Amino acid sequence: MTLLGPRTNGGPAGRGAPSREAAGPALPALPGSPPAGPAAWLRDLVMGLRFAASGGREGWIRTALTAVGVGLGVAVLFLGASVPSLLDSWHGREKARESLGQEHPPRPADNTLLYARADTRFHHQDIRGRLVRPDGAHPPKPPGVAELPRPGTMLVSPALKALLDSSDGRALRERLPYRVVGTIGDDGLQGPAELTYLAGSSALTERLGGSRIDHFGMEFVQRPMRAPAVVLVIMTCVALLTPVVVFIGTSVRFGNERREQRLAALRLVGADVRTTRRIAAGEALLGSLAGLVLGAGFFLGGRQLASVVTLWDINVFPSDIVPDPLLAALVAVLVPAAAVLVTLFAQRGVTVEPLGVIRNRPPVRRRLWWRPLVPLTGAGLLLTVSRDVGRADSPLNTVWLATGATLLLLGVTALLPWLVDAVVRRLRGGPVPWQLATRRLQLNSGAATRAVAGITVAVAGAIAVHMTFTGMQAGFAGAHARSSPVVEMTGRTDGWAQVRHALTLLRGTEGVRTAGGTIDSAVAAADDRGRYMDGSDFRVADSVYATVGDCDRLARIADLGSCRDGDVFFTDNLEDRAFVRPGARLNLDPPEGIGPVRPPQPWTLPATARAVRAKADDDGLPVHSILITPSAVDVGRMHQPLMNLSVRYDPRTPDAVEHIRTTAMRINPTLGVVARAENRHDGQYDSLRAGLFIGAVVTLLLIGAGLVVSTVEQLYEHRRLLSVLDAFGTRRTTLGWSVLWQTAIPVVLGLLLAVGGGLALGILLLSLIDSAVFVDWPVVAGMAGAGAAVILLVTVVSLPPLWRMMRPDGLRTE
Amino acid sequence: MTPAGSLLTARALHKAYGSTPALDGADFSIHPGEVVAVMGPSGSGKSTLLHCLAGIIRPDSGSVLYGSRDLSQMSDAQRSALRRSDFGFVFQFGQLVPELTCLENVALPLRLNGVKRKEAEERSLEWLERLEVGEVRAKRPGEVSGGQGQRVAVARALAARPRVIFADEPTGALDSLNGERVMTLLTEAARGTNAAVVLVTHEARVAAYSDREVVVRDGQAREMAGLA
Repeated sequence: MTLLGPRTNGGPAGRGAPSREAAGPALPALPGSPPAGPAAWLRDLVMGLRFAASGGREGWIRTALTAVGVGLGVAVLFLGASVPSLLDSWHGREKARESLGQEHPPRPADNTLLYARADTRFHHQDIRGRLVRPDGAHPPKPPGVAELPRPGTMLVSPALKALLDSSDGRALRERLPYRVVGTIGDDGLQGPAELTYLAGSSALTERLGGSRIDHFGMEFVQRPMRAPAVVLVIMTCVALLTPVVVFIGTSVRFGNERREQRLAALRLVGADVRTTRRIAAGEALLGSLAGLVLGAGFFLGGRQLASVVTLWDINVFPSDIVPDPLLAALVAVLVPAAAVLVTLFAQRGVTVEPLGVIRNRPPVRRRLWWRPLVPLTGAGLLLTVSRDVGRADSPLNTVWLATGATLLLLGVTALLPWLVDAVVRRLRGGPVPWQLATRRLQLNSGAATRAVAGITVAVAGAIAVHMTFTGMQAGFAGAHARSSPVVEMTGRTDGWAQVRHALTLLRGTEGVRTAGGTIDSAVAAADDRGRYMDGSDFRVADSVYATVGDCDRLARIADLGSCRDGDVFFTDNLEDRAFVRPGARLNLDPPEGIGPVRPPQPWTLPATARAVRAKADDDGLPVHSILITPSAVDVGRMHQPLMNLSVRYDPRTPDAVEHIRTTAMRINPTLGVVARAENRHDGQYDSLRAGLFIGAVVTLLLIGAGLVVSTVEQLYEHRRLLSVLDAFGTRRTTLGWSVLWQTAIPVVLGLLLAVGGGLALGILLLSLIDSAVFVDWPVVAGMAGAGAAVILLVTVVSLPPLWRMMRPDGLRTE
Repeated sequence: MTPAGSLLTARALHKAYGSTPALDGADFSIHPGEVVAVMGPSGSGKSTLLHCLAGIIRPDSGSVLYGSRDLSQMSDAQRSALRRSDFGFVFQFGQLVPELTCLENVALPLRLNGVKRKEAEERSLEWLERLEVGEVRAKRPGEVSGGQGQRVAVARALAARPRVIFADEPTGALDSLNGERVMTLLTEAARGTNAAVVLVTHEARVAAYSDREVVVRDGQAREMAGLA
């Protein structure tokens, strides 16, 4: 067996050793033969596991720390492995419950219903609303609904019920004038925090926006994640995992001295070097396996928080966060293996001899030449992509983006050891604590640099992600700030009378200054039966917009000159629509190529119709349209005419937009309402900012814990020296300060690199999305402050063991 | 009452670790410039006696008078200050700070006493040269031999010009040749500065460098007959 070394059963006795024959009479052969290959691995790993389990206090602390590190890593990886299935579940729930328009709408029957969107927004929260009006006794039911609500009643999600029941929801109760008769089950919700309702409406018609359906569930192409989102997910994973790996690397070193004594004792009784390494790896394996279990626990416990988190409007059920089985299996195998590899890696250059440990690794001279290449390559990749924004969403570009961001982030850590070395090498003099700290770093800055690398990646990643979102948010905020206080509403209508009624209601709404509206529809030449469009199966008529509005409203679109109700105009930029000419026969219901063929609705463009100069619309684009005053046409003959209402309000009136939305719901619940000046992204970024800050703090705390472990370990190794220094009369504060400097120097250098790297990455990402560079300096300062807090924390936590070791016990040799 | 002219006097020291007594009424005194060897078998309490005399630990009872001051009545901070200013130490193991150069190690007690770096290092270099290890001043302890390291430790103990040097098995890790050289240099330098040396050893060869010997047995210190 290898525990007794390779020299058994007459094998070679080592270099220069006499052969068995030459040494004297043959000894009886030892029974059995040592296991080799996998069997030897297995036996040594199991032995290591046993040592770890019975290794005393240090062993248990090391196992616990490794388990926590591995557990956090496993939890993060499980979460990452759950993203695809999470998005599938999220979209799957939407697909299962939705049916807004079937390609071949059914005729009214016992099993059909009219179904319409009736969404609204209340104080920065989107509320999904749907109206139903069954045609018969057996209508289809969406998931989570046992029975469709009758007219005037509604089913609500638990979150919406809570909002309606709260004092904040009073205005919303006014907007949704339905009686709550039940709640929608989980199957009918995308997430537990979703605000949604399903109301019965007796007023719903196809002309007013209803779609006739005979089943729920629809297929739609799921949009893949956009490249910047992929980069952010990858960066987040890198930023979270690096500190975890660093922590594991630190924790497996805890209690090294005791372990090395044990391994030396094993060498004394004949174990070879490889055996001791395998045994050491086995010791780490226990922590890894425990970490795997702990990680599964963290993941299962942590995913319960998903119900209270809403990110990018996505809120999911904890049960939907399930890791992909293949990825989960890979994590379960690779993470413990990685912890074992880290242990073996940590032992390189260390030879455990029978009488002790020899650290025969020569001091590493850290060379600069290759280190900047890593972040520069990353920056180069990002620059290349940013100059070719058109490719930004291609799979290749996603890989480039992810690789570039990761290289830039990790490249910062490649520079750190060199930077720490280069700086501390130049540090001279100073007070005794400073001298002790700098000399210690000059002798070996590896442990500190390893730990600080985690801080560097976490802070650089957090700054870059933060900058990206702050830049995006600033862009949105700027765009919204430039927008006028205008609310626009669009929806189906059955005639001009409804527009007049709507305008009356809107003008009576609190905060409204002016209100206007038009009806838009398409018209075509009377004889146009449609033609095949390029690449399409649809026969589409060559149509032009017809805009119905009163003279005041039409005068905003074009220079009408004189105008009276009954007049008709057409803009003078319709050269490519030759069929638009005074006296021409037009069709108010042109063929669309889908659905049943409808009879034409002929209408003559009056001979008195005048060509007028078009103005730009609210978006600055020229209008191309036939302009019709209300009494010149019967809107009821138009196909699916759209009512467009525009309201200018006084932004100083509190909740003016909310009042307008409530009025819009009274006009037609299916109206789409857009407030131009409302920044829909504010709430999202607030939660993201909070999430980023919490993540960064947790990461820094984790690294702080790793630093404490390595500092205490170092103190333990120096305990005799500490006792000697105490004998000299060295003040405790002297050594306390030296611990502080020893932590502070690499951390400060790491933070400087992190800020530089984070800013560079943030600028590149912002240029990628074509956003102005905006640095949120308070956040950068906050991150630096958090780093400083870690330094203090590590020092304060290290002081009690330091002082405990500055006792004369270490001087006793008997 | 202290013996006439004595620098450091201990009376009826008692010290126990748990239920195990280390000192059981030990007496001791030393005069300026005197070298006293404290001998005894392993576990007899000689290191504990040294630690009590140096104010590193406080005895359970009894007194340690340094001049007119009773160390057993002084606070931890006062005893630390006294050790910085008046005492020097040489130990068997683990005494040099591995991260500092030999010169910086020697300068350490001076700097802890508030001496400026440059001056501290100049004075330290003199001591290193006097102890014949000037050439290792820029090396770290891990880069020098055991004998050189121990001479550096002696230089450090002497650099602050202490009035008492406590040496606990100072040659325990050295071969006889190096041990003898270290003892010669230590005792000569101490006598040259009129410093007293409390030398804990179990080797008669090392004890031969002393002016008198005290044997610690069963926690009590007795003067060896026939000496001083």
